[in-house]
Amino acid sequence: MSALDETPPVAPAATRKSRWSLTLTIGLILVGIHVAVALLTLFWTPYDPSATAGGRLEPPSLSHWVGTDRLGRDFFTLIMIGSRIALVVGIGAVAIGAAIGVTIGLLSAFATRFLDDALAATLDILIAFPVLLLAMLVVAASDGASLWSAILALGIAMSAIVARLTRILAKRVLQNDYIIASRTSGTSWPGVVVRHVLPNIWPTLTVNFALQFGIAVIAEASLSYLGLGAPPPNASWGRLLQEAQGTVYTAPIGAIAPGIALVTLVIGVNMLADGLRDIGDPTRRVSR
Amino acid sequence: MTALLTVDGLTLRTGDQALVSDLSFSLGAGERMGLIGESGSGKSLTAMAVTGLLPKSIRPGGSVVLDGQQVIDTSDRALNRLRGSSVAVVFQEPLTALDPLMKIGRQVAGPLARRLAREGKSPAGRDVEREVLQFLDHVALPQPERIANSYPHEISGGQRQRVAIAMALACRPKLLIADEPTTALDVTTQAEILKLLDSLVRELDMALLFISHDLPVVATVVDRVLVLRNGRAVEEGPVKTVFNQPRHDYTKTLVTAARTFDNALEGTA
Amino acid sequence: MTLIDMRDVSFGYSRQRKVLHGVSLSVRQGVSVGLVGESGSGKTTILRLLLGLARPTGGSITFDGSSLDPSSRTFMRDYRRSVQAVFQDPYSSLDPRQKVHDIISEPLQSLRIPGSHPDAVAAALDAVGLPADAINRYPHEFSGGQRQRIAIARAIVARPQLVLADEAVSALDLSTRIRIVDLFKRLAQSMTLVFVSHDLGVVASLCEEIIILERGHIVESGRTRAILDNPQHPYTQKLLQSVPRMPGQGRTRGKQ
Repeated sequence: MSALDETPPVAPAATRKSRWSLTLTIGLILVGIHVAVALLTLFWTPYDPSATAGGRLEPPSLSHWVGTDRLGRDFFTLIMIGSRIALVVGIGAVAIGAAIGVTIGLLSAFATRFLDDALAATLDILIAFPVLLLAMLVVAASDGASLWSAILALGIAMSAIVARLTRILAKRVLQNDYIIASRTSGTSWPGVVVRHVLPNIWPTLTVNFALQFGIAVIAEASLSYLGLGAPPPNASWGRLLQEAQGTVYTAPIGAIAPGIALVTLVIGVNMLADGLRDIGDPTRRVSR
Repeated sequence: MTALLTVDGLTLRTGDQALVSDLSFSLGAGERMGLIGESGSGKSLTAMAVTGLLPKSIRPGGSVVLDGQQVIDTSDRALNRLRGSSVAVVFQEPLTALDPLMKIGRQVAGPLARRLAREGKSPAGRDVEREVLQFLDHVALPQPERIANSYPHEISGGQRQRVAIAMALACRPKLLIADEPTTALDVTTQAEILKLLDSLVRELDMALLFISHDLPVVATVVDRVLVLRNGRAVEEGPVKTVFNQPRHDYTKTLVTAARTFDNALEGTA
Repeated sequence: MTLIDMRDVSFGYSRQRKVLHGVSLSVRQGVSVGLVGESGSGKTTILRLLLGLARPTGGSITFDGSSLDPSSRTFMRDYRRSVQAVFQDPYSSLDPRQKVHDIISEPLQSLRIPGSHPDAVAAALDAVGLPADAINRYPHEFSGGQRQRIAIARAIVARPQLVLADEAVSALDLSTRIRIVDLFKRLAQSMTLVFVSHDLGVVASLCEEIIILERGHIVESGRTRAILDNPQHPYTQKLLQSVPRMPGQGRTRGKQ
């Protein structure tokens, strides 16, 4: 009692250090490789991605590490460029989804009952709306299908889910006494959002963004397949996977290689997000 | 006479941390004892250990014999017979102790029907219904029919706690464990519930294990107290002795604090 | 000098659900007041009105002579500087992601109070009996009593005239509670305290004046000693009788 109350416990320096986790390390390495490769393709690729570099559907060899595609292009080069496209799609869609979603979600959390209900109903409709239809609308509204129209469509579709999550998380934070304490300390509502709401909802949002990143990269593949994504020759992994469909028994490497690339990036991003959440959370300790 | 409840060298650990260490006490039939402790004292965990309802993460050691049955490391099925017939618990928060989606009448009928079945009587719907109303009346709830037809959120906190007590009584347990049963209630409601508990325990000749951090509250319902601190017993004895001549420093601190507020009320500060 | 003056204040969410009925009370500088009531008494509503988090549906509230108007920015800035609050739950009232320094200095920053903020924070920590090195820690590293000290430090850091405390010791263990009550007693010497509580014992040891509320009405108010020794209203009498006491030491009880 007295000792407990009067002397603050020793700061757990050891546990603070141990928040740097294996998850975070692996996540950093996986994402780091993809980012490095993506940056590299801006200056250099082993072969010209738009020219034939050998025979059709060559198996892996020393000169073509994972073989060549149906047109005789070096497959490794295509996968490297795919990294760049995947990162652009994932980051772009998440950024758009986050910007719109967090804004609407916060507005909704602070709004009056009526406005909140109206926003919630709108979001429900938006969530029920097929991404495909949305993408077609975006393409129709812009000048033809491109990587950017796909990113925009994915971002808008994502924003509804982000908004809903933000709204619920923010409402939960707003119930805490430290929000009233902050108001009575003289902090304005925007100040409350910046000081207390965002820092407390951000960790959960980050993990969600990582999930959405993976979904966006995969969804872009479907859009490309339907001609609603990046047109050739900008090969995304999704397009490579689709092209490998016909030859999956004769040349399985065509499906395996982009698959591995996709999985490593998505897992890496998720592990990175989990690790970052833990490192940013002061209350996350090894034991109580 | 063998005791109804004998706790011997009870130790509760989680990971490498001891939450309760080497705790021993016993309670005879019809006896009333208070477990006093502040947060982290292990008083609620001790109650859980007695009923065999410990969380999986906690490893128990030592022995708890309730009504002739060892509780520690005993299968849940064997303990289910014990719960209800030998022991029932009333918790701190009556709102979470009741199912929000079930009418009060049906909730009280549950343990009642189980007891009747145990006693070999066929629980006919009519009889159960009548007895439910009797129990609600017994805990001094006004208009038992209306209460039986209500959902938990439709009645007040004090009334909910009365319902929880009625459910515990419906089992006709030999030992009633009350874990901070009045902490969430208003002062005037608390006084009523304490009075009710006091008279019911006397009338039905139950033993009472009353768990609380509140010294004056404990003093009004039990004869004997055990003071816990950080999972260890620091002092045990009759209420009057412990509260008037505390021996341990910790007990002295608690008693002095409680008396300070008491004296402020009386104007003898 | 009268700090707070509530005249005939009522509050209700609708005509049927009125929670305050024509409440009048005043808080004078330097005189600590205890607002005592059970759930549904309206004590929390009065506190919300005094914090400017809600507006009365009838009657008026003035602070230091001018009307309490939550929509007036200039008034509220001065008001927040003069009136601060401490809440019940020391776990919910501190942002888990802020360091103690950021928590305590929030009023200084938000109210743009001139002067050295680190010095003011250090002084506040010292006043509540916490070590200076607490500033770099997070709330979860502290016990309940220590957290409440941090919350009190935040309330006094801008040197307000009035501190409103909402059940500020109710969630604490007994041995901690008495220390925090002592701390409030010490603070009450340099600022005015309005202490909202259901606990008569705590209010009796802290406040010179007491206001008893029942279902949105003030049933009795005046000097604490006088009311406890000779309660007039039946509700006050019932409340006093309901408080459980320690077993006697051969000493007779009061007038009850």
